[in-house]
Amino acid sequence: MSAAPSPDGARPASGTIELVNASRWYGNIVAVNDISFALGPGVTGLLGPNGAGKTTILHMLAGFLRPSNGNVLVLGEPAWRNVGMYRRVGLVQEREAVYEFLSGHDFVATSARLHGLPDPDDAAARAIDAVEMSEFAGRATGTYSKGMKQRIKVAAAIVHEPEVLLLDEPFNGMDPRQRLHMMDLLRGMAKAGKTIVFSSHILEEVERLAENVLVIVMGRLAASGDFRAIRKLMTGRPHTFTVRSSDNRALASAFIADPSVYGVDLDGSEALVVRTKELSAFALAAPRIAKEHQIRIVELRPTDESLESVFSYLVKQ
Amino acid sequence: MNRVVFSITLQQVAGKRRTLFIGLFALIPVVLAVLVRTAGANVEHEQWAAEGLFPVVIIGALLPLAALIFGTAVLGSEFEEGTAVYLLTKPIPRRAIVLPKLIVAWLATGVVLLLTGSIAGMVALAGTGDMQIALGFTIATVIGALAYSALFVMLSVLTSHALIVGLGYVFLWEGVVTGLFTGTRILSIREYTLAIGDMLSGTPDVLFQAHLSETGAIVGLVAVVGLATWFAIAQLERWEITAGG
Amino acid sequence: MPDATQGSIYDLGYRGYDGPRLGRGYALLSLYIHSLRGVFGLGRRTGSKVFPIGLTVLAFIPAVIQLGIGALTESTVEFFHAHSYYGYTQVILALFCAAAAPPLAGRDQQTHTLSLYFSRSLERMDYAMAKFGALATALLALTLAPQVVLFIGNGLAGNDLRGYFGDEWTQVVPIVASAVVLCAFIAAISLVIAAQTPRRAYSTVSILAVFMLTWIVSSIVAELTEREIGLAALLLSPFHMMRGFTLFLFGETPGATSPLGIVDYPGWIYLLAAIAWTALAGYLIYRRYEGINA
Repeated sequence: MSAAPSPDGARPASGTIELVNASRWYGNIVAVNDISFALGPGVTGLLGPNGAGKTTILHMLAGFLRPSNGNVLVLGEPAWRNVGMYRRVGLVQEREAVYEFLSGHDFVATSARLHGLPDPDDAAARAIDAVEMSEFAGRATGTYSKGMKQRIKVAAAIVHEPEVLLLDEPFNGMDPRQRLHMMDLLRGMAKAGKTIVFSSHILEEVERLAENVLVIVMGRLAASGDFRAIRKLMTGRPHTFTVRSSDNRALASAFIADPSVYGVDLDGSEALVVRTKELSAFALAAPRIAKEHQIRIVELRPTDESLESVFSYLVKQ
Repeated sequence: MNRVVFSITLQQVAGKRRTLFIGLFALIPVVLAVLVRTAGANVEHEQWAAEGLFPVVIIGALLPLAALIFGTAVLGSEFEEGTAVYLLTKPIPRRAIVLPKLIVAWLATGVVLLLTGSIAGMVALAGTGDMQIALGFTIATVIGALAYSALFVMLSVLTSHALIVGLGYVFLWEGVVTGLFTGTRILSIREYTLAIGDMLSGTPDVLFQAHLSETGAIVGLVAVVGLATWFAIAQLERWEITAGG
Repeated sequence: MPDATQGSIYDLGYRGYDGPRLGRGYALLSLYIHSLRGVFGLGRRTGSKVFPIGLTVLAFIPAVIQLGIGALTESTVEFFHAHSYYGYTQVILALFCAAAAPPLAGRDQQTHTLSLYFSRSLERMDYAMAKFGALATALLALTLAPQVVLFIGNGLAGNDLRGYFGDEWTQVVPIVASAVVLCAFIAAISLVIAAQTPRRAYSTVSILAVFMLTWIVSSIVAELTEREIGLAALLLSPFHMMRGFTLFLFGETPGATSPLGIVDYPGWIYLLAAIAWTALAGYLIYRRYEGINA
């Protein structure tokens, strides 16, 4: 774990959401192991493989699991046994069901009533509009598809305009268009100063939506921050670049002679794959070497800056 | 008392299947009363009502079964079907969830028993006996229904096996153990209900005599309702979601 | 590097299996064993073990009491007779069925895995047979096993153990026969109810209600109405039929004031009725799985 940054002190100590040395175990199984972080407004993605502890963290934040150790604070107060917190917090569960006998509108309006909103029907209509479900609001939720149920659940969770919104695997069952719309909705809420935390095991979702990433691996916080920044901190790990040039073979032999490079692959005749451990040294060396050998570089791009490669690296640690 | 929770719970309970299911059970005492009335041989009507129909059939079996079905449904089905979190993420105190649900369970059980008790009682006794037997025992079942409902609502918060625990309580504890070890009768809702029924129906001791005193029964009922409700609320306040990930 | 734009199939070295297969009988046996373990919650979490195992233990209590009396005192009194044993444990048996049958019959429907079974070499009939066999076998642990303990307990109650077994060995036939008929009978009744719905709540209550309500109601009908109606009522009540055929197999007569004694029909009727009910229920279970959309 030496390559992972220490989460302590990486962010300001006070945020809307804060875990302080939080652990949770079930019998002998440790689901969350001594995690500390603090989050402010914006979209944060909890990324990790299934069973990593993402849902446990969300459930602790939502006040449905008592931390076995440490503190879980939401809006400055402990989340456990804090009913008043729900005035300012919304939760969208992965497997939560809907009352199938209620219409979509009634489901959301009932949520508004339970929150004690002054005009529940109006609030419900606005929330339903935000998730683009107005067309189907009159239908019983029992007849909804999985994606529609997911959206009506989001509407029910945002009807009271919470400051903190927690979502567990929110994009499951949504088609690509719905997914994009939901991402826009969450981005918009984040821009309005809300704190959005969502979990996902799908890298593409996290990469596209989250400004901030928490990588959870086997109950521990493996990395946090902007994922490009995380990538930079992982000095022990080789960076790879794809290079296309006028003479790949000649460039390969020139690169391998440079101390900043420790591996070159010829990928067919099309391109080179260069591995380096010293990013800045290579960045300076590459144009110089090309110029010396009079080779024209057509393309030079990092091949592995996707979250996926960062993630698989962290999981392997 | 939360009106929104009350109204959702009413809709949950009033499903077509459940109504039909309970309706079938509720018919049994009526059919039995009709059968005894028409095909009975040398039946002492008052004796049969005070010894068999009310204490054994209605209070011994139908009351706990109906209360078990409604009592475990009002809150237990929320956990089973996964709608509980919807309710629990609202800024309302947990007693505002438990109390309306308990009252719906009680009302539903009470209505079923009021119907079946009064109709079966009428069939068994009309024109031949003392209707106060039917009236007194029927009111007693409605009172007993509150205690059973509170117990089963509490069980449904405590365990996902509330039905089996409840059935075990009713038919093993109340049905068998209290018969073998008479001292355990002070911990039996059936005996409380019978004592109240005895008091309200004014049956002479030759026909029916409850094992417990009226005061004992009232104390027992109040204690069961109070403790079970309090415990259900306390457990819901510290309810943890199962299956982490 | 292969050209991905051209369609091609790669030989990854997978080979088909063309050796002998274990077939339908093995599949049936596997499902039977899996189901039997499932009844007692073996291979499941602790919560699923508490009730089946707890109820099994309770079913032994009368036998263990007799064994204790026999072992510790000089008394030769038989407190619990083999022919009346199920009278003490019938509620436990009903609770066991109510707890075990719904998940046994309903879990595969609930999780939509039924189609997976039926797409294998297993036939629908086999599935029904395996489930029925599992519940009936499990019930032997609550019926036959305590009877064996009781038999030993009664033997110990006298001073002459060898002599007791010498005199009483003929009891083995009714003990085994009544246990086998009883287990098949209540397993079939419980499963036919449980197979109707994947909803555990309905089937659990229904199973227990069928045992308990018919028992209560039939006792009253037998007592208060004419013999013929009384008999009809008793033939709808599993507990009474159990009592009736067990006494018949042991060659005993019911007490004169008991519902069976009041109605006073020969005991073979109850045996015949129990077998008929078992066959009918078995047929209905089979029909249910034939017709189910999987």
